[in-house]
Amino acid sequence: MKKNSLKLVSSFGYISLGLGFINSAYSMGLRSFVALPVEKGGSVIRFQLEQAKDANTDTLITSVAYGFTGKQTLLLGVPYRLSPTGSNRQGDVSALYRHIVWQQDRFSGTDRLGLLGGVVIPTENDRDPAVQAGFVFTHVKNRHEIDIDAVYQAGMESRVDSARYDLSWQYRLSPVEYPDWGITQEINSVLELNGRWNEGSTMTQQLTAGVQWIHQKWVFEGGVVNDLNNTHDRLYLISTRFHF
Amino acid sequence: MKVWLLTILPLILFISSASNARTIEVEVYGMTCAFCVDNLTRQFNKMESVSKVDVSLKLKKIRLETDEELPTIETINQAIIDAGFTPIKVTILPDEKE
Repeated sequence: MKKNSLKLVSSFGYISLGLGFINSAYSMGLRSFVALPVEKGGSVIRFQLEQAKDANTDTLITSVAYGFTGKQTLLLGVPYRLSPTGSNRQGDVSALYRHIVWQQDRFSGTDRLGLLGGVVIPTENDRDPAVQAGFVFTHVKNRHEIDIDAVYQAGMESRVDSARYDLSWQYRLSPVEYPDWGITQEINSVLELNGRWNEGSTMTQQLTAGVQWIHQKWVFEGGVVNDLNNTHDRLYLISTRFHF
Repeated sequence: MKVWLLTILPLILFISSASNARTIEVEVYGMTCAFCVDNLTRQFNKMESVSKVDVSLKLKKIRLETDEELPTIETINQAIIDAGFTPIKVTILPDEKE
């Protein structure tokens, strides 16, 4: 049974990577969580299009974040395979609760540690649920931001366990210096090391490079993910998010 | 005469209203990017007494232009905490006419 599940996970490929790990609404990384907040009562929606070159799949991941308080956020994510068409296009729903348990804000930036916990809810009868837990740490200082997150998914019944980590570094290319007053658009470079693991296989190490265009009301970003081992696949990402 | 009064009346009302307006400056730590501070401006824009919000990511400050009724320091601090940041110092700027 576990082997069947492995096949299922494999067939979903990168979709499964997004299941439990929707990016934070205020994520500065392309693929990682951060501890930056969603305000009380605020919501953010993100649409991310992923194209896996060798696997030849296009996936749309829709993520929504809602802030219960400045420190407590609900994150929901639903992947949907755009192509190839056929059965099992709808991925499972990920629900994660993030609680920022430690926060140290400074003039030059912030340090935040958040704990994550939640479930993966299957959308098909032949798939099983999972519980998930992990942490996210964010360090921001001046033009630099580093985000680290790790999450483990424990599959129930026949669902295999899985895990991931993200180590992301963002550097603000523009503006070099903020104006005295007023908000300007920002451009960041992003470099990440990511790891994706499913029970029964070795962890796929990945290198991600990209760019973010940040506006006060929206973010537009894109990047390329290269597998450093295993299948050596390449993944193209493009996403946008809106605050409302 | 009536035309003259109708012209001058809105001006008098505007000056009267402006004379009661106050500017509050708040030092806020934890603001790190343009998208993040949208949280903060939304929190303050919900307040009826706040007519304008300016943000400085460089100085780590926000500036609130208020109408007659000033929001309390507790209200301001809570709005900043609800947005996920840390309030440091609240200053009511002196009216330039005083």
